[in-house]
Amino acid sequence: MTAVTVLRRPLAAFVAFALAAASLAVPREGVRANDGFAIATAPYHFSFPRDHGSHPKYQSEWWYYTGHLKTDDGRRFGYELTFFRIGLRPGDPRPTPTQSRWRGHELYPAHFALTDESGQTFFHVERFAREALGMGSARKGALDVRADDWTLHGAPVGKPDLEGMTMHARAQTPQGTNAIDLVQMPEKPPAIHGHGGISKKAACASCASHYYSYTRLRTTGTLTFHGKRLRVDGLSWMDHEYGSDELQRDQGGWDWFAIQLDDKRELMLYLLRQKDGSVTPQSSGSLVQRDGSVTYLPRDAFAIEKTATWTSPHTGGVYPAAWRVRIPSQHIDLTLAPTVADQELAGTTTGVSYWEGSVAVRDASGQRPLGVGYVELTGYAGTISL
Amino acid sequence: MNALFRGLVLGHLRSNKLRALVTLFAVGLGVAISLAIDLANATAVASFATSVNVVSSHVNLQVVGVGRGFDERALLRVQDVDGVTYASPTIEESVVVGAKPGNPFSGEILRVLGVDLLRPLPSDASARVVTPGAFAASGSGGPDPYALVAKRGAIVSQRIADRNHLKIGSTLVALAGDRSVTFKIAAILPPGIAGIDTSVMFVDIVTAQEVFEKVGYLDRIDIVADDARVNAVQAAIARILPHGARVIKPAVRTDEIKRMLRSFQLNLAALSYIAMLVGMYLIYNTVAISVVQRRPEVGTLRALGATRGQIFRTFIAEGALFGVFGSCVGLVLGSLLAQLSVGAVSRTVDTLYVATHADRVFYDPLVLLKAFVVGTVLATLSALFPALEAASTAPALTMRAQGFETRRKRPGVGLALGGAALLVLAYALTFPPPIDGIPVSGYASGLFIIFGGSLCVPLSIALVAGAARKLTARISPAGLIGATNLGASIRRNSVAVASLMVAIAMMVSVAILIGSFRTTVIAWADETLKADLFVRPLGLQDASYDARFSPKVADAIRRVPGVAAVDTFRAISIPYRGSITTLAAVDFKTIADRNKLRFLGAVDTRALAHTMPDTENIVISEPFATRFGVAPGDTVTIDTPGGLAHFHVNAIYNDYSSDAGIMLADTRTFARLFHDDSVNSLAIYAKPGVDLPALRTAVIRSVLPLRIDVQTTRELRKLVIEIFNRTFAITYALYIISITIAVLGVVSTLFALVLERRREIGLLRYLGLTTGDVRKMVFYEAAYIGGLGGVSGVIAGVLMALLLIFVINRQAFGWLIELHMPWDFLGEAIVLVVVAALVAGIFPASVAARMKTAEAVRTE
Repeated sequence: MTAVTVLRRPLAAFVAFALAAASLAVPREGVRANDGFAIATAPYHFSFPRDHGSHPKYQSEWWYYTGHLKTDDGRRFGYELTFFRIGLRPGDPRPTPTQSRWRGHELYPAHFALTDESGQTFFHVERFAREALGMGSARKGALDVRADDWTLHGAPVGKPDLEGMTMHARAQTPQGTNAIDLVQMPEKPPAIHGHGGISKKAACASCASHYYSYTRLRTTGTLTFHGKRLRVDGLSWMDHEYGSDELQRDQGGWDWFAIQLDDKRELMLYLLRQKDGSVTPQSSGSLVQRDGSVTYLPRDAFAIEKTATWTSPHTGGVYPAAWRVRIPSQHIDLTLAPTVADQELAGTTTGVSYWEGSVAVRDASGQRPLGVGYVELTGYAGTISL
Repeated sequence: MNALFRGLVLGHLRSNKLRALVTLFAVGLGVAISLAIDLANATAVASFATSVNVVSSHVNLQVVGVGRGFDERALLRVQDVDGVTYASPTIEESVVVGAKPGNPFSGEILRVLGVDLLRPLPSDASARVVTPGAFAASGSGGPDPYALVAKRGAIVSQRIADRNHLKIGSTLVALAGDRSVTFKIAAILPPGIAGIDTSVMFVDIVTAQEVFEKVGYLDRIDIVADDARVNAVQAAIARILPHGARVIKPAVRTDEIKRMLRSFQLNLAALSYIAMLVGMYLIYNTVAISVVQRRPEVGTLRALGATRGQIFRTFIAEGALFGVFGSCVGLVLGSLLAQLSVGAVSRTVDTLYVATHADRVFYDPLVLLKAFVVGTVLATLSALFPALEAASTAPALTMRAQGFETRRKRPGVGLALGGAALLVLAYALTFPPPIDGIPVSGYASGLFIIFGGSLCVPLSIALVAGAARKLTARISPAGLIGATNLGASIRRNSVAVASLMVAIAMMVSVAILIGSFRTTVIAWADETLKADLFVRPLGLQDASYDARFSPKVADAIRRVPGVAAVDTFRAISIPYRGSITTLAAVDFKTIADRNKLRFLGAVDTRALAHTMPDTENIVISEPFATRFGVAPGDTVTIDTPGGLAHFHVNAIYNDYSSDAGIMLADTRTFARLFHDDSVNSLAIYAKPGVDLPALRTAVIRSVLPLRIDVQTTRELRKLVIEIFNRTFAITYALYIISITIAVLGVVSTLFALVLERRREIGLLRYLGLTTGDVRKMVFYEAAYIGGLGGVSGVIAGVLMALLLIFVINRQAFGWLIELHMPWDFLGEAIVLVVVAALVAGIFPASVAARMKTAEAVRTE
């Protein structure tokens, strides 16, 4: 889910340059959206570790990490690291000797953001790699993704079952002043969202994706912040999602929530918004129980109330900035508040911006901490044309 | 001071409006010419500088290759260097659209930049190229990325689109060397994106590599590096680069181009400054006349207590006034003229030096300011001597009769001696060597010829006036009076003659230079163009050597019946010692047989056929030897993709095709070192008795569907001459304008003399001269001035021509030009000048003739 949003960033670069994402998530006049790509349809049976790898027959795909880290001396950081794959055309063509090696049909944007919760600052940077010369790549059948010098690897540890996979993610700024080098170990098996292996985004036939998450990843490694290398550990969340032509024109943005409760349950919710302000009926969520089982949450099973707003000094966008989340059937009643107000990825080259940030999760009174979370808000700064 | 200036200068100018305007216009024209040339020169460099850096203004390092380029995998290593924040791979090429067979000047060259169009630009608000805002602002949406990558999509400027009637989705057929390539227009850049050369076409790197047969290669990587440690990053990149690639700061390339163009541009500028100099003579003239005319006022003022300083400043102010307003006129006129000069200069630069494709004037404010300041300062200085004279004359003297100069006993002898001394100095200055490749003392020598010659003018006027008086005494009263007048106003006439002399000297010297050069080039072309047919790419070509043939073309042609042999030629631009020069490849095995090169000194061409092939031996052109101070026996080290090459210089040969210099290596050596076996042109030798027109057709057919243009030796020689003429077109234009300024000077002087002598003319009329006689009298004066100017101009011009041919061109370009006197032209020039002077006399003569006698004498 999350990644569709983030694709807006390269997309905006393309609106300028008019490129790939145009054909990706945005059906435009003159550009056929899912030309030849497979669409996500039910029933779909996930198979691991195969499905950790790339699915080039779908148009878009992403591996999406968010997490909360703590240094030895108690400083708290949030991080986001996302690798995207954008297919220009389906298939896996290899250039002939007289053909340029730049002829790859895949693009690999990537985003990296750090939230310094203790210092109340936020920082983000992007990469954008072509398939050529191995600058951007994603293996089929195994987790192995690269965008320039940012990398993501999965390796089976011990038994090659789900629990045994470790992931290793690395990203850094060009000067190396900010970087992460993290190892993530799942504490629960992958949680598959939606019904029948697909997660619906709207009413149309193609409006769905294949979507699973590692909702609880024990994370250790190093974080370099302003040139200082720090040992960190904490908790991460990983989404992997792929599909083609998932959204409809009349949709104007979305709010996405990933909440990791201290009681070892996790919650994923998304609200898609129509351009008229109403919520798309296909919006839904998942509750991952302590034992890893997943409870599907249809639109009417939860209520999300916006309780505050924040106006971006970068874009002027007015974002929701506090929420009350209630799931009566599960006896869940939470309040969410950003750990840092300004976690907006204000696009400098793209012109399209979104808010993606760490939030504190507390009880209904807002006093007692109950967990941590990440929220993604799109379509609030300027127009996202769907 | 103010009142003095208003009364003395402005009042005077008001009553001499026409002359003031002529002076103003002439000064303006002088400033305009030098400005137009300066702007054209600056534009050539600026256009190159912009095209050097199209991705981002933050690009602070570039990896650049030579010839075919360097291995694209260098990009990965460069990206990984610590401190590199952005690296953009680039291929630089060009294509020709609309070329027609048989017409070497047909079509339009488009620069093609192959970049990674799918890579976002660095976050840089002033990103230059296809900025994100560019499309957004135009509301044109964007091209399909797949079409860009896989279907040869191209992004073109509005100008290219308009010229070729292109819309999004339409196809553009262009020639890339010998191949016809079809591009699909994916987007049109809205006009006015800062820094984008409008003849540039962007394609994706996939398209560029495949169309230009550079799969696996890059020409350039534009890098944004951490500014604080850019030098360290540069050093780190230098360590990991493959051979044949170097990492430089972007300004280095521009500096190299500047260095390559320096002699050419300096020569043009020097010529243009002569036009300005002629304008300055006019100011001198005008102020001198006004000093003479206002002697009584000056005398009165001095008698009333005005100080010398006040008088001096007043006349200096008059010069400055002409300078300021003349320069303003010059700025406007020059900016307009620049539209023409930029075209002419950039055509030459593109053909002979480097492809800049300047298509609009780059109005550098510094250049404009410089023209204004130089114009104003020179004008003020021109008024220096008249102003000093006005200030120095005694009150009593200046109050004496109006209109006559003080007579000196032996007019001009002292000046002529000074002039002779300057001429000797000018000769002495031809000996020192150039400074850093610039013939500084040669230029100084030219200036001294002009000044020395000018100082000799008063004496020659006195002598000529005396002789003319004797000659015409019996024959023509009008001639006698004219001659007397000539001798009576030596100083003013001197300035008119001198300015005419300078203009004619320039015209004559340039004519001799061009005539000699052209004769030399024709002889050289006759001697070196020995083949029967020549194969070149279709249509317009520039100095980029981008238009290449595949080696298949030469092979196919060798198999055509009737072809005895085929010589190939391949060249690339390479940096050498801070400048740009050419490395070319020919087959030395056959070159000795054909005896195509004219070597300097005794060179055993047979031996070259053994020593050159497949070895690191080269021969160098004479301009190369001059420019870089390299001699046979020396070693020239060049970093090539095949490793460091230590070329041993075997001999120097005579060449007139490039003043940037040429190194000639053997074809095999070149192919090995540069991984490049393509060809830029071919020469075909026919078997005896073969019908050439039929052979030409057979050759063209033999390479189809590849496209080539085949020319006969005669056509190629014509092309050589045509390029030569185009190169010198701007020089012709310059000297025509100088003549215009000089003729304006004659008009202004004669007019002043006539007005000044109205009293005299009235008296003459009383004494019985008819209006016809008066008219004749003025014509005589005009003829004397014209004749004197013509003769002295030719003398000075011949001297300057010798200087240009044997010193300046030799030192600046290394050209070895044989002197060839275009006698017919010189004769015509003198006639033309006398006629021009007579024509210039028409208006003053009729004014003089129409003067009312009574009014004229009333002043008595």
